[in-house]
Amino acid sequence: MRQLAGKIGEGLKNSLPSAVNSLLVPLLAVLTAVVLGGIVIALAGGNPFLAYVGLFQGAFGNARAISETAIWATPYIFAGLAVALAFKGGLFNIGAEGQLAFGAVVSALIGYALPGWLGFDLPAIIHIPFAILCGGLTGALWAAIPGFLKAYTGGHEVINTIMMNYIALNLTSFLLNGPMKDPNPNNVIARTPVIAESARLAPLFEGYRIHWGFLLALLVAFLVWVLLWKTTLGFEIRTVGANPDAARYAGINVKRTIVLTMALSGLLAGMAGTIEVTALNHRHELGFSIGYGFDAIAIALLGKTHPLGVVIAAILFGAMRNGATRMQFLTQIPVDVISVIQALILLFVAADAIIRYIYRIRAASERVVLTRGWGG
Amino acid sequence: MKKLYAVVAILVLAAMLIPACTPTAPDCTLPEVFCVGMVTDVGKIDDKSFNQSAWEGLQAAREAGVADWVQYIETTDAKDYDKNIQTFADAGYDVIVTVGFALGEATYAAAAAYPEIYFIGIDQFQEWPYDDDPSNDLANFTSLNFPEDQAGFLVGALAAMMSDTGTIGAVCGTDAVPPVWRFGEGYRAGATYINPDINVLVVYHSDVGFDKTFTDPEWGAATAGSMIDQGADVIFGAGGKTGNGAVIEAAARGVYAIGVDTDQYYTLPEAASMMLSSAMKLITPGVAELISLARDAQNGGAAFPAGNYNGQAGYAPYHDLEDMVPQDVKDRMEEINAMLLSGELQTGVPPVKP
Repeated sequence: MRQLAGKIGEGLKNSLPSAVNSLLVPLLAVLTAVVLGGIVIALAGGNPFLAYVGLFQGAFGNARAISETAIWATPYIFAGLAVALAFKGGLFNIGAEGQLAFGAVVSALIGYALPGWLGFDLPAIIHIPFAILCGGLTGALWAAIPGFLKAYTGGHEVINTIMMNYIALNLTSFLLNGPMKDPNPNNVIARTPVIAESARLAPLFEGYRIHWGFLLALLVAFLVWVLLWKTTLGFEIRTVGANPDAARYAGINVKRTIVLTMALSGLLAGMAGTIEVTALNHRHELGFSIGYGFDAIAIALLGKTHPLGVVIAAILFGAMRNGATRMQFLTQIPVDVISVIQALILLFVAADAIIRYIYRIRAASERVVLTRGWGG
Repeated sequence: MKKLYAVVAILVLAAMLIPACTPTAPDCTLPEVFCVGMVTDVGKIDDKSFNQSAWEGLQAAREAGVADWVQYIETTDAKDYDKNIQTFADAGYDVIVTVGFALGEATYAAAAAYPEIYFIGIDQFQEWPYDDDPSNDLANFTSLNFPEDQAGFLVGALAAMMSDTGTIGAVCGTDAVPPVWRFGEGYRAGATYINPDINVLVVYHSDVGFDKTFTDPEWGAATAGSMIDQGADVIFGAGGKTGNGAVIEAAARGVYAIGVDTDQYYTLPEAASMMLSSAMKLITPGVAELISLARDAQNGGAAFPAGNYNGQAGYAPYHDLEDMVPQDVKDRMEEINAMLLSGELQTGVPPVKP
């Protein structure tokens, strides 16, 4: 069987252009995870073929399915870019979840309360960008704190971003249950009032929920690529990520770069939350976004921390989450199976030696710098 | 390595055989096939609460032969409510059940878009969206609500029979929310029905805003504590986390605790050992009954009860305290329950606070 797998690996490697070759391992990781996932589905009592047909139909089967996949992919793109950007700077931002939640809370607040504070209605052309900006900046500030602690005290960002997650999620819970709760007497759940019409990002097409936020996400992905590879700041971020000591000798302000990298990462994560509020849910509700920030880590890894890779990985994850409804509908398999497949993909991407062994691929000469580990 | 391949091969073979056992869905678009779908809120299907009770209602409808096929979709994210409802609608389902207040808006919108499908919303309240104008009610959408006063009456009677001190307490959310007020006053009425001289302490957390009244477990615990200090030996908690705080405090102080809505023996494990019962909304029979009414309506029978539908109240099993409750109390409870159901006994609690 491994000989067959090895042939698949060889064949793919020879037939693909070199740019795609670097995506070979993620591609094979997805394939392997899907096969193993099929076995899991069968053991759970479902028909794996029907399940995957359902998954595909649900994700891409018709115009509405594609629209829903794009909706799912949108926050994944933003959050995946957030984690990938931090990776490029040698930082592991596990706090995207908290930054995202705060971004959502603040943009919801701006969305529903600002006209009341001002005493007049804002035009959409101002209200929408302002809500998105405020949400993004909140995420940036929230991420800059662990960035600052890392740069000036050496406090490890992994620990600090996790801790900041707890603070953010519990504070959000307090706000949504308390001062920001939808005051309607019938309302029994933790959610804000709906945001004003003027703060809502419009759908792209009548009758579909796909919205401008998806195009914004693609644009932002392009901008992140420009930032990282075409600007001085991007060069500094990548240099600090690759080797902070060399960066310091080269005259780069390492501390400032670390804080800035985290802030930019938080900005992107905050926008993930803000887009969900302004374009889709039109309010913030507790229980939304269970784990976008964590899926984002998998997406950044799967996308090899490259913006284009992140977009593709985000669409893949979005498709799986979206298609899961139809899969569940057709086969009665618990939706949690999708989480298992995602975890398998992540496992194979992270431990790519397994994939290289199965498919007999030699390690690429280029090295992807992720983080510098606990000692850094 | 060869062994590993053998294992994998066996697994794959097993994988191909197992699916043969699972039933496949009939074509729900056919008029003679009656299909019922259910969309959960972001809780799981086996939450031991509203989702699970509602799903049991669907299964009961299928076992009774009312529904030919039942199916659920678990929602993982609030943004999928619309899509999940639509998945059933597209597949030609005849009835769609949505569980919980959070799905109210999505259900109302879907009911307006699919007038030929019946929608049953659980605890989504009348007069949607938020108005008193019945002309906004849709003919194919009903909200399953419950007579909270009867549930309160049942546990009030139980509390009065189980009390040694002659003092019992209830810690509630704000009385400005009619269901909460009905729970509290039902409790008072039930206790007084058993023992006209009983000292019933009913306290509403009306001194704070809506933002706080249901989410104040500290106040709930403190209030329950002061009731226990005044001699109360049974505490009923009704009002979200505020009520839960009271129930947990009661159990911690070693007095009987009574939960609300669903069987809180399962949802408040820290209070389970002293959980006497819970004032329950009987979701399972209510859902099954509405499905049956929807089928009748589709077959040209009586019109679907659009707007609001009153389900039944009940009380939860005694669980760990089974041996502590005397047989005559158990018998009396069943008798009162039957009388409330038949209408022979009225709680005397008006629908809204006068």
